[in-house]
Amino acid sequence: MMGDLRRLCLASQYYQDEEVSATSDVSTSDRVVELINNAALMTFEGKKVYLLQQVQELILNKEPALLDNFLDEMIAFQNDRFLEVRKFVIGFIEEACKVDNELLPKLMANLNLLLNDDNVNVRKKAILSFTQLYRVTIQWLAKMRKLTEEQESGWEILCRVKEDITNLLDSENDGVRTHSIKFLEMLIIVLTPRPSDPEVPRRPETDLDLDRISNEHPILDPEKLREDGRQAMDRLLSFMGHPAISSINLTAALGSLASIARQRPVFMAQVVQAYEILHANLPPTLAKSQVSSVRKNLKLHLLTLLRLSAAAEFQSQVTTLLYDLGCTAPEIARSTGMARDVRKRQRDDTDSTTKKGRFDDDEKDVESSGALLPLVGKSSTKPTNQLAIDITAEAFVPLLTPANVAKLVLLNMVFLPDTMPASFQASYTPIESAGTEAQIQHLARIMATQLTAANLGPGFEFIKQKASEDTEKAEQLEKAELEKGDMTPQGISVLDSCSVVITSGVGAAETGQSGLVVKEEEKIVSNRKLPEPIVPGTGSASVSGRRRVFRLSDVLKPLPVVRLKQLSEGAMKRIIMNKAPHAGHNSTQVRVELLARIAARFGGVAEQLVLEAVLGDKQGQSDLAFAWLYQNYHAAMGSTAPAGAAYDSYDMCLTTLLVGLESKPDQNEGLFSRLLLEAPKITSNALDIVRRVCEDEAHMSVGMSTLTELTLRRPQQQLQFLQVLLELSTLERDKVRSRAIVFVKRVYEKEELKCFIEEFALTALQNLVHPNPPNSGVGEDQDTEVAASWTEEGIKQCLFLFLALLPLNHRLIHELAAVYTEAIADIKRTVLRVLEPPIRGMGMGSPELLLLVENCPKGAETMVTRSLHILTEKVPPSPDLVSRVRDLYHKRVPDVRFLIPVLTGLEKKEVIEALPRLIKLNPIVVKEVFNRLLGTHHGEGGISLSPLTPGELLIALHNIDSARCDMKSIIKATSLCFAERGIYTSEVLAVVMQQLMEQNPLPVLLMRTVIQSLSMYPRLSAFIMNILQRLILKQVWKYPKVWEGFIKCCQRTKPQSYQVLLQLPPAQLVGVFEKCPELRFPLLHHVVALTPQQQNHIPKSILVVLEAGKLPTEEVETEVKPQPEAQSVQEVSVRAPAPDTGTKLWLEPEIWENEGIQDDSANGQEADGPVPDTASEQAVPVGNCEAEEEKKPEEEKSAEVDDKSQ
Amino acid sequence: MPESALRVAVVCSSNQNRSMETHSILSKKGFCVRSFGTGTHVKLPGPSPDKPNIYDFKTTYEQMYHDLESKDKELYTQNGILHMLERNRRLKPRPERFQCCSDHFDVIVTCEERVYDQVVEELHARDEITSQSVHVINADIQDNHEDATLGAFLICEICQCIQYMDDIDDEMDELLQDFEDHCGKPLLHTVCFY
Repeated sequence: MMGDLRRLCLASQYYQDEEVSATSDVSTSDRVVELINNAALMTFEGKKVYLLQQVQELILNKEPALLDNFLDEMIAFQNDRFLEVRKFVIGFIEEACKVDNELLPKLMANLNLLLNDDNVNVRKKAILSFTQLYRVTIQWLAKMRKLTEEQESGWEILCRVKEDITNLLDSENDGVRTHSIKFLEMLIIVLTPRPSDPEVPRRPETDLDLDRISNEHPILDPEKLREDGRQAMDRLLSFMGHPAISSINLTAALGSLASIARQRPVFMAQVVQAYEILHANLPPTLAKSQVSSVRKNLKLHLLTLLRLSAAAEFQSQVTTLLYDLGCTAPEIARSTGMARDVRKRQRDDTDSTTKKGRFDDDEKDVESSGALLPLVGKSSTKPTNQLAIDITAEAFVPLLTPANVAKLVLLNMVFLPDTMPASFQASYTPIESAGTEAQIQHLARIMATQLTAANLGPGFEFIKQKASEDTEKAEQLEKAELEKGDMTPQGISVLDSCSVVITSGVGAAETGQSGLVVKEEEKIVSNRKLPEPIVPGTGSASVSGRRRVFRLSDVLKPLPVVRLKQLSEGAMKRIIMNKAPHAGHNSTQVRVELLARIAARFGGVAEQLVLEAVLGDKQGQSDLAFAWLYQNYHAAMGSTAPAGAAYDSYDMCLTTLLVGLESKPDQNEGLFSRLLLEAPKITSNALDIVRRVCEDEAHMSVGMSTLTELTLRRPQQQLQFLQVLLELSTLERDKVRSRAIVFVKRVYEKEELKCFIEEFALTALQNLVHPNPPNSGVGEDQDTEVAASWTEEGIKQCLFLFLALLPLNHRLIHELAAVYTEAIADIKRTVLRVLEPPIRGMGMGSPELLLLVENCPKGAETMVTRSLHILTEKVPPSPDLVSRVRDLYHKRVPDVRFLIPVLTGLEKKEVIEALPRLIKLNPIVVKEVFNRLLGTHHGEGGISLSPLTPGELLIALHNIDSARCDMKSIIKATSLCFAERGIYTSEVLAVVMQQLMEQNPLPVLLMRTVIQSLSMYPRLSAFIMNILQRLILKQVWKYPKVWEGFIKCCQRTKPQSYQVLLQLPPAQLVGVFEKCPELRFPLLHHVVALTPQQQNHIPKSILVVLEAGKLPTEEVETEVKPQPEAQSVQEVSVRAPAPDTGTKLWLEPEIWENEGIQDDSANGQEADGPVPDTASEQAVPVGNCEAEEEKKPEEEKSAEVDDKSQ
Repeated sequence: MPESALRVAVVCSSNQNRSMETHSILSKKGFCVRSFGTGTHVKLPGPSPDKPNIYDFKTTYEQMYHDLESKDKELYTQNGILHMLERNRRLKPRPERFQCCSDHFDVIVTCEERVYDQVVEELHARDEITSQSVHVINADIQDNHEDATLGAFLICEICQCIQYMDDIDDEMDELLQDFEDHCGKPLLHTVCFY
């Protein structure tokens, strides 16, 4: 249907074409162009092929003149992605070549390309086309007298293709094999001359008259071609004998043989015999139905053969076969009808003459029919076999008496299989002509076939003897030639030893194989109940005795060992010395290979010499080093010795090279690592060398970088390398260790190795849990002292690798914490000391670190605190961190020390809350706290970030409840503040004092602070006077401590303080004088020196108190008297809180000051006095401060005692 | 239709029942199929086994139909012959003889061993020109309506499998082995060349 349709399409196409050309002027050429263009753009497989078919029709049939123009365009489609298009191109090439033979050489290459297509269908199509074109080509070439270069190369390609296709008999694809069989058939027919027999069909397209090809033909040699044909026949026959041949191949081959026999009767004998063999030996792999298919085929072909007169002489064989195949006599008779007469004659022949004679007849026949024979006997094995079969069969015929046969059958009953094989069942037919002469002969023949196949029997003996005679002759010839030759025996004796080994090995393999074949054959024989007990002596054993093989070693005497060594060493040296590439690049290559091979195979001196060469000139000889190494590796891989032993020589080679390079490290570092990186395998010895190099401080970089590269590049052994690297990273030696750690970190970037590294680091770390270092430490055998205590180095050894990993994998911190909690104090200390770089590397944002802070395992508090410190040393703490620390502090571990690092992140209230505890810590820590709070460590931005201003801090200190903190700590804390002169400026202090003073009740330390401020900044005195005055208003005497300080302050600030003292109520003034009697006199003196007007301001009661001393009283009285409105102390004190009086009081001292003491800074805000003053100012307070500090403890003590007593 | 469509031929003795049944089914399934007979004449059952109706290959199905209708309409309706001819004439005008057809196929399926032999012999007898291969497969089918239908389905199944093969030459053997196991019938198979 499809075919119809297609034909229809094509037909209508022609019709259309005619129409087109009739109606329009479009030329065929234009039409072709259009079609090709359309085809190129077409994306549908079928349509594309259809378009191209039109083109083919146009340029091949309609206007062949156009073929040349469009050939290239058409061929271009051979790379098309569509299978069908490629197949079409093959068909096109075939057709084009048939139309124009000149194209053959040109297109041969294209077709060859398609023969190697990926798709098997394209390949098959190509084989088919070659089958056609081979014939065409050879006919075409035969007519040529002279050939162009192109034609010659085309023929060459074709010859190669011929080989290729023939070899495709071994293809894995059944179809390809089938096509290959067809190709062989064509070869055989084309390359065998057609007999003159009129019965043979004449087919001009296949017939090539080989005789007509003159011997002078430039490339076609008729003799050679005939030989090719015969070889093809042999190939086909041997293929058919393959025991595992598929049924399709078998069918195809059977058909081919039939066709060959029909067209080239010379091969009739071979064909009939092949059929015979096949019938007796159907491949065991065939299924039942396949067996019947094949037998059907066989029958058909045999019947066809019977009709040929050329087969007349084989008629008896063929008929017997046909009977065996289940043919009936009438069927056979029908086929043989036409050749009956011939057969009759033949029958008589077989009866009267011996087989041997018949063979001779055959020869004569063949000789007369073609020029083939002389070669048949000589080069192809089949006729020889046939001869052997004939001889054996002849020997059997008289032996096959009924008695013998019965014995044979009985003897072999035991070999019968339990179940009947499918092939036997299918092929069994009752033997019609049992006991007749013909049947006996047939049986003898079958047996002979089997025996000959198994290399047994008299016939085989005969052939073999003949063959050995031939070979002996050939050997003698060879020998003679050899003797003539001018080879030097010495050279051969050295070089040839290996080739002798190889040939003998091959020989052994061959005999092994043939032995196997023999066994198989025997099995088959037994299956078929046809073994050979009667045949006299098998002679396969005697053959080897007769054949004398020429052995060079028999003729030669070995050289003395010393001489041998000398010679070989000398030769080696010359090869090594001769490194100039004089004969082009290739010679160097050969030289290197040769040296490597010799060194690898013979070792010893050769090895030594090569090693020297490599080490002596590392630049030029790296090739040699590698070649040598690979040679050894190759040998190791190829050897069958147990794995350990096989690598010995390779290992030796690698280590020798490495040791050699190691000893000259300065020049060879590059080669050293290259060798390791490119070596096919790193042995453990080699690894030891690498480790040694790594431990050498001078070269460790090379070693370690090589090791790292190895780890990264060789997955197979990487753990081994990594282990070494890791062990290095826990070495005791500082430099090596830190260097190794750097490399480990690089390796650590590889995801798959992380786990391994971590594990190792962890194991090392876990050593720290023990109270004593492990004996065989972390890859370090030096710690052999029993129960040695941990040294700092030892601890670091275990620790550093882990710490290095920390910044890369923050999760590890928990492990560290876990180990830390269990470790002894020494280790803890060391850990804290070395913790800084990793923690800093992790950074404050690390969630794992935060998690650690949050969880803070018991015992790891110090570590956590340390971590916090490290984190906050340079940067203010993040809110996240602060909140976690706060949580920790509040909920789990109320250790105030946690708060220190995050102080600046806390809120004001919290800081104030924590202050009492903070200042109780040891002085260094307290100092740290203040540094943080005051921002002295954080640089510029620090202060603004602190939750407390310096002033607030100081005030907070003053307000600490003495119940929660002892006074001593508070005092120490305040003095820390004062030490920061840069921060606690006079202005700050003034504000602080002002605020403190306004508090109610007054802070205990108020006056202490005032006094201290005064001693630091004497120019504050005016301001302090003001304070003092206001303190009077606040009835300062009610606070014993403050009062004490008040008096002290007055003492220090005289004479300015006189004004203040004078404002005290008399009772208090008395108290002052009681405490400080030395004040009275100066005060009195001061009052006396006042102007009367001023004296008027002093209340009388005061004067009385003053005068209670030894001074003259009148003066005082006069001075006192003018003051009319003497106020009672009570009144003053009552009025004091009032703001107006406050301002008044504030103003009053000013007046005095203006008149009295000259002060540079009457107003605290109006800064600086003259330069010398400030200098002295600064000098004095320092001394004061120190003095103060010395005094302080006593003061404090007394204060404390007082507190307690109160 | 792609160029590569499988070209199938179904052959029985008279190109009436078995090959036509298969032809019908295969063409319904979209195959590119033709059918043939190998006999010298076209034989149809007659009133008794020894009196068959014999036609030559030139007679159309139409003519046979009318002939039989006129002879004994009831008999030929009852044994399904008319119905069969009715179907056949819708498929193609007249029976075709295999030996007279020179077209090339990829697969030839025969319905009887004798037919298989004839086909193979015929193909071998022809002169080989292109060496293009053709697979000849025999599946024995009894010559009655039921078996013809069953056989047609089996052949159709085989053809469908073959259609989806990448490499028919390589895979055919295996396929047929599988089918043998599957249907329990031996399938003969060979390769011939055009």
